Amino acid sequence: MGLPLAFNVELFTQLLVNGITLGSLYALIALGYSLVYGILKLLNFAHGDVYMIGAFAGYAALSLLGGPLSPNIALAPLIILMFLAAMIASGLLGVVIERFAYRPLRDAPRIAPLISALGVSFFLQNSALLLFGAQFRSYDSFVLGSKNPEFFEPGPLTDPLFVVKNVNIQLIQVIVLSTTVGLMVALTLLVAKTQLGKAMRATSYDREAAAMMGIDTDRVIASTFFIGSLLAGAAGVMFGLLFSQVFHFMGFLAGLKGFTAAVVGGIGSIPGAMLGGLLVGLAEAFAGGYLGGRWSDLTVFGILILVLLVRPSGLLGTPAIKKV
Amino acid sequence: MKKAFVSTLSALAAVTALAVAATGTAGGSPTAAKSPSVTDTTQITCGRTRTIGIAAPVTGPAASIGSQQARWARYWVTRWNRAHTRVKFRAVVGDTQLPDTAQAIQVAERLSSNRQVLGVVGPAGSQEVQVSTATFKSGGLAFVSGSATRTSLTTDGTRRGFFFRVVPNDDQQGPRVANYIRQNLRHTRVAVVDAQNSYSTGLSDTVQRILRAGGVTVQRESVNEADTTDFSSLAARIPANTQSVYIPWQLAPKAQLFGQALRAQGKRAVLFGSDGLFDPDSFRIPGSFVSFFPIDLKSGIIAAYRRGPGRGKSELFGLPSYQAAAVVGEAIDRSCRNGSATRAEVRRQINATNIPKRKSLLGFNVRFVQNPRGVLGRGDMETPANFGIYQINARGVYVRVS
Repeated sequence: MGLPLAFNVELFTQLLVNGITLGSLYALIALGYSLVYGILKLLNFAHGDVYMIGAFAGYAALSLLGGPLSPNIALAPLIILMFLAAMIASGLLGVVIERFAYRPLRDAPRIAPLISALGVSFFLQNSALLLFGAQFRSYDSFVLGSKNPEFFEPGPLTDPLFVVKNVNIQLIQVIVLSTTVGLMVALTLLVAKTQLGKAMRATSYDREAAAMMGIDTDRVIASTFFIGSLLAGAAGVMFGLLFSQVFHFMGFLAGLKGFTAAVVGGIGSIPGAMLGGLLVGLAEAFAGGYLGGRWSDLTVFGILILVLLVRPSGLLGTPAIKKV
Repeated sequence: MKKAFVSTLSALAAVTALAVAATGTAGGSPTAAKSPSVTDTTQITCGRTRTIGIAAPVTGPAASIGSQQARWARYWVTRWNRAHTRVKFRAVVGDTQLPDTAQAIQVAERLSSNRQVLGVVGPAGSQEVQVSTATFKSGGLAFVSGSATRTSLTTDGTRRGFFFRVVPNDDQQGPRVANYIRQNLRHTRVAVVDAQNSYSTGLSDTVQRILRAGGVTVQRESVNEADTTDFSSLAARIPANTQSVYIPWQLAPKAQLFGQALRAQGKRAVLFGSDGLFDPDSFRIPGSFVSFFPIDLKSGIIAAYRRGPGRGKSELFGLPSYQAAAVVGEAIDRSCRNGSATRAEVRRQINATNIPKRKSLLGFNVRFVQNPRGVLGRGDMETPANFGIYQINARGVYVRVS
């Protein structure tokens, strides 16, 4: 284990930036867990693998558009197209999973869809292994858009955009944070202000009553899966752009961390997912930075246990009202 | 909601407990190892097609390296079959799913109980070798690893005559690297980052010990390379005045990420990788060093592999498994000269292996130690201490510098 480091502003700032960036990814994954749990009371453990498929869809788009070293189009439209491909692919995958793995078990005992979710997770993981192989696929985001990629010259995404307290802030970090906040605001508005959002809230509150009021609950649930998975797809591309490498096993731990973020923030709560994601990301970054790598996961999952013990409904979750 | 959530979590805990219990039952089979289905003196009719077992993690977290090993080992079979019309080989692959050692035991059991298997390539990890030894021994099978480097695997005497490896042990590679950093690079501030597995911690300990003894200031760090995707916190822990960072890891793409994280933070420390990172397709940070076999990178076999099963990649981490397959296959072929063979004969033939340098992909002649000495036990190779040191140039090309 590495020794704890003495406090210095540069290290602190660096870890803060790392934590916020990482936390943004976890927040987007956590939203998918929260949305599905809010409406179906189901822990969708395949969600991390939907995120992995999103990352691969983004990679496929990148490859079709010429690859990272010689893209056929400018960087901005390239990234937008990658996001679109990943979000649509993941969204559709989410709908298919709901239709075939969860809908038939909607009225089954609670453990049945949970096992189905685990099965879907393994199915997706191994399908990706068969389809894409075990090798790491690289977005090469460090040199993406670079004039001299063969000389490992950083591209615009990773070249320092500005410097805070001697810490380089990269364009990709700004993109990740702003996209996450943008998607979060859009989702909040969708849930609060639109017809679909109202239907989602009604279905979440009481599915049977909502159906009796004329709401097509199947469509609402499918839409919820589409939206949650779409966000996971966006997170997958962000991951690829931030950390370059995508691989078939990447959804497992990211899914667990996203789930932890959802629980810590209060599963079912949109702002809770954001808060939980940031907390988990910051905890991981600071524990890794100050205490050493072995402490990162220990700290993150330690927080999960602590929150479950002290406040089981999460930091921003609403305690259940029990009929007595 | 709270009630529903708590009951869901309880259900999840129950599922997890069942899964853990099932894994434990499946993997904890020491009794099975004590009742072998095949003894090492059973005569096996060789026929025209002989069978090699391959134990590698082709799925799971280490699939990216395990699949390379399986592909390279199979590639030897393919090349042999293409070159020989009378005698053919067939490969039986067992998926050990590293780091799940229970799977390694199951694979060892399956290969041992398959009467046609006369020798095994693998397993990949030192911990897998340790847990599967009893099973392989009771089945009489020789196993030749292309990546298990823990020194004690050959020096503790428990696998003598059964276990062989075509990679150097930690106490051979470590000193070469440490001396290069100290004497050639003349670095005095070095960070050593182990990857929290037995391969990596063994090498890290050796290098750290030698560097410290030589007066070098060493900062020790640790990271789980398989699970980590964000290396920026680790990079933040490396002081700006650190001259080199030794990373004896096995996942080259992760080392690339770490290098990028260092560069993104404006740190110029030179990365120094072990043989596990010798992967020109994935690890390309200019100025970095990697220790590896003195192989001929322009070898026709490597080029053919790139065009064939490698699908454009050399996947050199798996290359020793090709050599391991050659060791096992040729030993089987020699044992089968009279039409039948026993596993004991194959073990003896493996021990007597002598592949000349011109036929060896590793860059030196492959012979196993007959007289244990120092850090070399029976099952180790005689000559691999002469490791090459390669530097990655500005274009990402590996150039041998020592």
